[in-house]
Amino acid sequence: MTKKITSSSTAEYFAKNLQQVGFSSPTKAVLTTLKEAVDNALDACEEHDLLPEIRVSIKKVGSGASKSTDLVEIAVEDNGPGIDPDDLAKVFGEYLASSKFGRGQCTRGQQGIGISAATTWAQLTNAMGARVTTKTARMRKAVSAIVDVDIKGNRGVLKKKDTIDWDIPHGTKVEFRIDGRVQLNGDGGLLTYLEGTTLVNPHLTLHYELPDLETKTVERVSQVLPDVPSATLPHPHTMKLGEFMTHAHLYGKVDFSKFLKTGFSRVTDVTIKEFVKNGMPRALVDKPVMRMSEEEFKTAFSVIQKTELQQPSTRSVLTVGEEALSKSILRLGEVDFFSVMTRKPRICDFKPVVVEVALARFLDRGAGDEPVQLLRFANRVPLQFDKSACAITKAVESVNWRAYGLGQSKDSLPLGPYVFAVSVVSPFIKFKNASKETIDGSDELIEEIRRALMQAGQKLSRHIRKESREADLERKLQHIEQFGPILVEGLVRIVGAPESRKKRAEDGLKKLLGRDTRDAEAALSDAQTKLAALKERERRLGIGGNVEEPDAEDRAGGDAAASGSPPAARKGKPGGTSKASKAAGEAVSARFAATTTKATGPASTSATSTGKKA
Amino acid sequence: MTDKIIRIRNLTKDIPKEAKTLCDAVLRELENANRPVLEAVKCSLDNSEYDPKVGYLTPGDKRVRTELNVSSVQKMARVVFLLEILLDNLKSGMVNTKREVYYISKGKVKGTPSLKPLDFADQDESDSIIDFIGDMMEVYREELNCFANDRGGQTYSQQLVVTETLPDGETATIDLSTLGTSPFQPKNKPQALKLKAKKKIDFCLVVESEGTAGTLVANGMTKRHNCIVMGAQGVPSNGVRGWCKLIQNQIKVPIYFFGDLDAYTMQNIFRTLKAGSAASLIRNSDFSAPEVRFLGVLPEDVKKYDLYCYPVKENDQAEARSLKKAKDALANDPFFQDKKNRRLAAILEWLVKNKLRCEQQALFSVNTKDPLMAEKIIVDKIKSGSFV
Repeated sequence: MTKKITSSSTAEYFAKNLQQVGFSSPTKAVLTTLKEAVDNALDACEEHDLLPEIRVSIKKVGSGASKSTDLVEIAVEDNGPGIDPDDLAKVFGEYLASSKFGRGQCTRGQQGIGISAATTWAQLTNAMGARVTTKTARMRKAVSAIVDVDIKGNRGVLKKKDTIDWDIPHGTKVEFRIDGRVQLNGDGGLLTYLEGTTLVNPHLTLHYELPDLETKTVERVSQVLPDVPSATLPHPHTMKLGEFMTHAHLYGKVDFSKFLKTGFSRVTDVTIKEFVKNGMPRALVDKPVMRMSEEEFKTAFSVIQKTELQQPSTRSVLTVGEEALSKSILRLGEVDFFSVMTRKPRICDFKPVVVEVALARFLDRGAGDEPVQLLRFANRVPLQFDKSACAITKAVESVNWRAYGLGQSKDSLPLGPYVFAVSVVSPFIKFKNASKETIDGSDELIEEIRRALMQAGQKLSRHIRKESREADLERKLQHIEQFGPILVEGLVRIVGAPESRKKRAEDGLKKLLGRDTRDAEAALSDAQTKLAALKERERRLGIGGNVEEPDAEDRAGGDAAASGSPPAARKGKPGGTSKASKAAGEAVSARFAATTTKATGPASTSATSTGKKA
Repeated sequence: MTDKIIRIRNLTKDIPKEAKTLCDAVLRELENANRPVLEAVKCSLDNSEYDPKVGYLTPGDKRVRTELNVSSVQKMARVVFLLEILLDNLKSGMVNTKREVYYISKGKVKGTPSLKPLDFADQDESDSIIDFIGDMMEVYREELNCFANDRGGQTYSQQLVVTETLPDGETATIDLSTLGTSPFQPKNKPQALKLKAKKKIDFCLVVESEGTAGTLVANGMTKRHNCIVMGAQGVPSNGVRGWCKLIQNQIKVPIYFFGDLDAYTMQNIFRTLKAGSAASLIRNSDFSAPEVRFLGVLPEDVKKYDLYCYPVKENDQAEARSLKKAKDALANDPFFQDKKNRRLAAILEWLVKNKLRCEQQALFSVNTKDPLMAEKIIVDKIKSGSFV
């Protein structure tokens, strides 16, 4: 006897498989809930041209119902447009109810699963869904309600709906009480998430209150809202044959050429002529789509694929931009120097992709022998789990960072007090799982990320090279002072040479090593010039962050001011070294002579005169 | 006086005079503001040559050049500093170990603050300078009165008599049969030792593990056979290598090496004993015994005696390294590449292919009722020619 086949609702499926969407542990549950709420807030603000200001509060309010968990309250409040009360149940309580599904846009949310999953988790662990308060510009009073998920029916249910006074023009506040555990730092930490979110959202003002930490406000550094990319037509190279044919049939009776021009981006009359030149039968161009055979579609498709087309529109992807990223990175801590890189959009895996990279060395975080902190982003959302499987990690590991002056073991993350932020933006990012934790990377995508990293690495290496040149010069000067006299004296003792020979050898040695020092100084000066040129170029492009102009003295001395190293950093690390070493370089002969004098005693007159000569 | 006694070979060089000439040349270059260059034989595998007629690794044409510049000024100053200490030793006839030289340098630095920059952070630093001086002057470290600890080489025999010329010119005669259970510990001064056999000696057995050598002797091997049994104690020291060469040359007995069947034993222990090492290219002529044969453990012994083997785990770092070492030896070591040693190379290939290793003590697993089984197998292998 066959068993009865039952069908279950989408909500039922997800309620049973919450681990697939980021609720696999109490720690992840807190992070995912926060992430979903913040993502929605940011998307809503951007869609309505509002500069987002978000307040996050996470508190432990008691013990959780499940073993070794806390009852954690997560509240996220935004200044977004607010939600029409009629939509509340749908937004928070129904799976796959999304305004963004399949539109071909680079929004954070895509499918309409995340926030409903958070509501489900709250309901499953604390028997209460999400408490939502919202007010649109047209409402005098705010609406407050509890949204539960009707798991059987996959729909939201409003409870305790009330109207209340809320002293803001518009916005939404959503609160969850869930069983969870709070982890602040590390790859899966809440703080790591919030820092990452601020980094790639320079236009965001964020207030946050986390357990055991003081309330903090991170002000926005950009008043410009990112252009939310409008849903653009697909690029002909982003489709497979089957998709192409289905797409064509949606256009009905039109000619094939009209279908191509109106159904795709980057196809014009000129392009169609190119197609014909490349072997598309002319008769096919004017044929109505409905009457085209499968064979004809195949022919046309293969011609289109092999014809070089203009790359997809930049408007279909979204970038943070080098300038905004430069400013934003300074919000993470005391930056020593940094380098940012925004690549031009490219097609990878048949989809337009933009990769942005920010590399920064911090004065107050990380250690020299630890791997760099890698922040991964997909459509401006931090990815915090399963690092090793991610295309971004693979790309970082594939670069030879030693060439840029960083320590690195083979095929692993480089070492040092650096933060590497890599952002991949694309209307359709291929994730490895529904919880969107790792990007599935083809060789093409990894290569694209790798190129961005290498370009950023080259910029970074200018800073590192200058530092190592400084250290090199300093070391060389020290060596000359220390070992020169000892070498000569040892030789003189073994040979039994007279004082006159000793004097001549000292002079000779000084000349020799003086040449070396000059070479080292020239190398340093060259490194400084290259770095200054890079910074000047960045300054002209307006991507220097909050950076002071190098003052006259610094310019004269070729010092480390400018775009890549913020003013705070200049007070700290390498600043003094170069000036000191320069002065030291000039005085090398004199110092060498003085040391010699001390060591040899009576020969002071001649040694001093040598110093004067030098 | 001491100079004669510690001489390891008939050296025609006057070391103090040569050192002085060298330093004079360096000083002259400095006076003329030219960059002096110190040159030394490159002692590494890529500069090793193996001629089966010679039988040991010899240096090729490659030289290590140290030209004076800001980066090398420290090394040069250190070379001159230690050279002075060693010359003082030669003058006074004092000898020291490398470690003692390290501490002498420490003492000098302490007494003369201006030498502080030369201070060695650890012995490795001073050792490499001492080695460089030896390679530069093409003299043995021992000829600079710097001796290593006489490790390994504990020797047992009922027939061997050693006559040693002492520092004061007197001679001492040591009949190894009169030492009871104590072994003879050879010193690293082969020129001062003369060997004689009271009775014909049939073979000399060098065992990798000195413990196993002791066991064989304690069980009466040297009483039952006219032989010499020696413990190598791992990688053979200069003392052991010189001693084996002496046995080979003076009493002309066949020498057999018995050790583990693994890449480390084959390349680091046996090859060093037979043909010297890449690090000591300039002294392999006096510190290798090219006629020594590899008695085992051979791959065929594993099969014949059903010996217990350990699998070499490739995920174990140390074991993976040993496997890599075997592959490297086959690819780069001129000793194993020479067709004269193709049977030894075949053993390495067997190790790489089978990913197994077998320890010398595995012989004790054969017929546990017979405590003399290991000895019997060894003697049987010698008699039947089961060696490489």
